[in-house]
Amino acid sequence: MQNLKSHILIVEDEKGLRLGTQRLLEEEGYAVSVAENGSEGIKLGTSNEFDIAVIDLRMPDIDGLEVLKEIKKVHSNTVCFIATAFASYETAIQATRIGAYGYIPKPFTPEEFIYQIEQGIKQRELILSAERLKKEREENLFELASEKSRLNAIIKSINEGVLVLNKNGDLAYYNYAALKYLNIQEINIGENVIDKLPAKIVEVVKTIFSNDIFLLKTYTVQIEVKPNNELILEAACTPVPHPDGSLAGVVITLGNITEFKKIEVIKSQFVSMVAHEMKTPLAAVQGFLNIIIDDTINVEKEKRKDYLKRSIVRLKSLTDLVNDLLDISRMELKTKHREIENIKVKEILNNVLQTLELEIKKKNIAIQKNVEEKLPVIQADQNDITRIISNLLSNAIKYNKENGSIWIELSSTQNYLILRISDTGIGIKPEERSKLFSEFYRIKNDRTRGISGTGLGLSIVKRIVESYHGKIEVDSQFEVGTTFTINLPINLN
Amino acid sequence: MALIAIIDDDIDILDASSLVLKSKGHDIITATNTTDGYKIVKERKPNLIILDVMMEEPDDGFYLAQKFRRDGIKIPILMYTSVSKAIGMDFDKSEIVPVDDFVEKPISPEELVEKVENLLHLKEVK
Repeated sequence: MQNLKSHILIVEDEKGLRLGTQRLLEEEGYAVSVAENGSEGIKLGTSNEFDIAVIDLRMPDIDGLEVLKEIKKVHSNTVCFIATAFASYETAIQATRIGAYGYIPKPFTPEEFIYQIEQGIKQRELILSAERLKKEREENLFELASEKSRLNAIIKSINEGVLVLNKNGDLAYYNYAALKYLNIQEINIGENVIDKLPAKIVEVVKTIFSNDIFLLKTYTVQIEVKPNNELILEAACTPVPHPDGSLAGVVITLGNITEFKKIEVIKSQFVSMVAHEMKTPLAAVQGFLNIIIDDTINVEKEKRKDYLKRSIVRLKSLTDLVNDLLDISRMELKTKHREIENIKVKEILNNVLQTLELEIKKKNIAIQKNVEEKLPVIQADQNDITRIISNLLSNAIKYNKENGSIWIELSSTQNYLILRISDTGIGIKPEERSKLFSEFYRIKNDRTRGISGTGLGLSIVKRIVESYHGKIEVDSQFEVGTTFTINLPINLN
Repeated sequence: MALIAIIDDDIDILDASSLVLKSKGHDIITATNTTDGYKIVKERKPNLIILDVMMEEPDDGFYLAQKFRRDGIKIPILMYTSVSKAIGMDFDKSEIVPVDDFVEKPISPEELVEKVENLLHLKEVK
């Protein structure tokens, strides 16, 4: 009947009875410990928790009731029987009062004794399961209590503002972020706060309260709390239902969206710059095509061809622009899949020079290379390094003078590879240097007129170099020439 | 027929616009920057100025238009640019910039001719 062997203690000074009951219980499958006197009984019974203890009432050293008392003091769940030949109504009551479960009168038959023990085991199981239940309940309560305080602590400390109003507009809950965002100095639970909230929120809250039909829908409004876009909040107002489904109130969360708004402005500025840069070549091409197709405008054959050629050039620049934009957007999203490998920069330099050969020859530019012996390989994506070198070199050619020169230097320090490209070009004025790497910045003067470019080349170079934690520097003398120096880490880590 | 000054740093657009207006019998003078633009207007006193917005900073088309007006040059100005109205360049002509009309590039030959003739006619009525 017992799952685990129940452990029974017998405290009995009479040897025959002690051994007899022990054998009897062991035959029934119980684990039995025995004590031959009261003090040993106390020692055993208090140092171990027995399921059952059968204690003789009369022992020479210590009284059975005393043993019972001591055991119960330590292990109140041990089911104790008092066994005695001097059964009396009074001792029975006394024993029960101290905590005995039962009273076994001597002499007893084995059946009677086992029956009593079985009853005791049942009692023990009842006590233990009640104990278990109680413990579980206590644990749950504790968890609940700590869960509540944890939630409270979380809501109090989050960056979002939280306000809960009942359906009269009385404050039921708030956190400090809400007060900070709304610049409310003092607020009390139970206080009607409708007047303290921004008009836009009040409007939404009133809409929620006036809805006949309860809609579990979140209404959001954006509020400029401080002027000049210094603090913009997004308030999300959500109705809170009672368990019966009727409206209990509204929970308002306040998020700071100032930074998002700033990014939105930057984004729209960028989009307008892009739009301008794209419309300009389109306008030129459209202008030429309109003339060519218009019968009322007389265009000589040679001129016509010239216009078409120029249209192709403009469309090519538009394609370059689109490609540059795609590169930038990939870099911004960091989706650009980098294939990091060991790169021999010298080889990439030679490849780029080959692709630019035609332009170099056209302007009759002298190229001088100075590459350090045993230049270390660097860890990078080949496309990135190609892009850096080709953007810098094509600028050095484009903005160079006829019969000019370009010096290319590749060297290294312990941790960095250094690429230096100098030209004998038009140079950059000191005041223009800071804007040089910004998107769409192109120096406009008589010397740059007619040189096509997207205005993104250097911006892309800078982004790539910085994505490798490298650095780019420019040194220039107006009308003499420009030097770009790039330091790239040899090892990515 | 009229003398028209076109000031634009985009040579392609300058050439195309010139040709359209020449085909209508107008005489065209051009400049590719604001300095030259101011000079040819001062010297030749055209009947109309067509002015691009985005040129060398800070001497852009707005600046040049203001300079003309400040210096008492009342020649009608047609300002044109590829800066889109949709991105906040929605100014109401003379309120911000002292120009007589404003068009967005690209512009069709018909539209250009129409705008130009409107402005020239306006001046004659005056």
